[in-house]
Amino acid sequence: MEAETLSRLRSGEDGVFSELVREHHRALTALAATVVGVSEAEEVVQNAWLKAHGAIAGFEGRSAIRTWLSRIVINEARMQLRSRKREVFLEDQVSSEGQDPLGDWFNEDGRWRSPPVSWSYDSPEALLMGVDLSGCLDDLLARMPANQRSMLEMRDTSELPFDEICNTLTLSASNARVLLHRARAQVFKLVNHYQETGEC
Amino acid sequence: MLKCRELVGKADQYLDGELLLRERLAIRVHILMCHHCRRYLRQMGALLRAFPHRHDSASDEEVCAVMEHLQQHADKQDEPA
Repeated sequence: MEAETLSRLRSGEDGVFSELVREHHRALTALAATVVGVSEAEEVVQNAWLKAHGAIAGFEGRSAIRTWLSRIVINEARMQLRSRKREVFLEDQVSSEGQDPLGDWFNEDGRWRSPPVSWSYDSPEALLMGVDLSGCLDDLLARMPANQRSMLEMRDTSELPFDEICNTLTLSASNARVLLHRARAQVFKLVNHYQETGEC
Repeated sequence: MLKCRELVGKADQYLDGELLLRERLAIRVHILMCHHCRRYLRQMGALLRAFPHRHDSASDEEVCAVMEHLQQHADKQDEPA
């Protein structure tokens, strides 16, 4: 599917680029917001689309289109920060507060105290798409520390390679791993609670 | 023998394919005997596959704004110097 889209994009077929924009724009805006903040994310992504449009003919398809677009967005976001003499804002230390979000699911002997319920979903793609759950997830992400949210958007939504994220965010691999674990664990807990009770 | 809590601590790296063979085997042996951990890994895997699809498609207005921006840029480039 992606190879076909790519070939139509390269041939400059009408309407294909706007399909690409429709599919990825919101994810890219959320990604940009983790670097430059919500207020400047739209501008960054607009500029990134310009770059992508100019470079699409040279895209060789070695990575997924989303990953390629995400790299362009990250570069644009960093240029924006430099032009404003700002740095990527992240608490690069992993704070001791907010211990493992799943910590209370285990007994002292390390076995499950509250094991996850069995989830019901038609396909993994549809797992997070319910209107209620989607809203709950947005609220959770808004409350999440910025460094955890960045890890989740870059690694799990944009599927950027781990070492590339560490470079972008100037994080050590071990700190990045802890942040990603905490972020994923909170989302897991939210989905599990939603599956169990139908509420956030 | 790996404890459930330790398995959950390593689950991210396991699912990202970043563990050594010895560590992967320890996890596989554990989940043969522990259905809670088996479920945790299966559902966390589903969650990770769901994430790239989390955002809705852009609205017509958002798409138009991007396409107009591209058009304006192209028009500027076409202007005689």
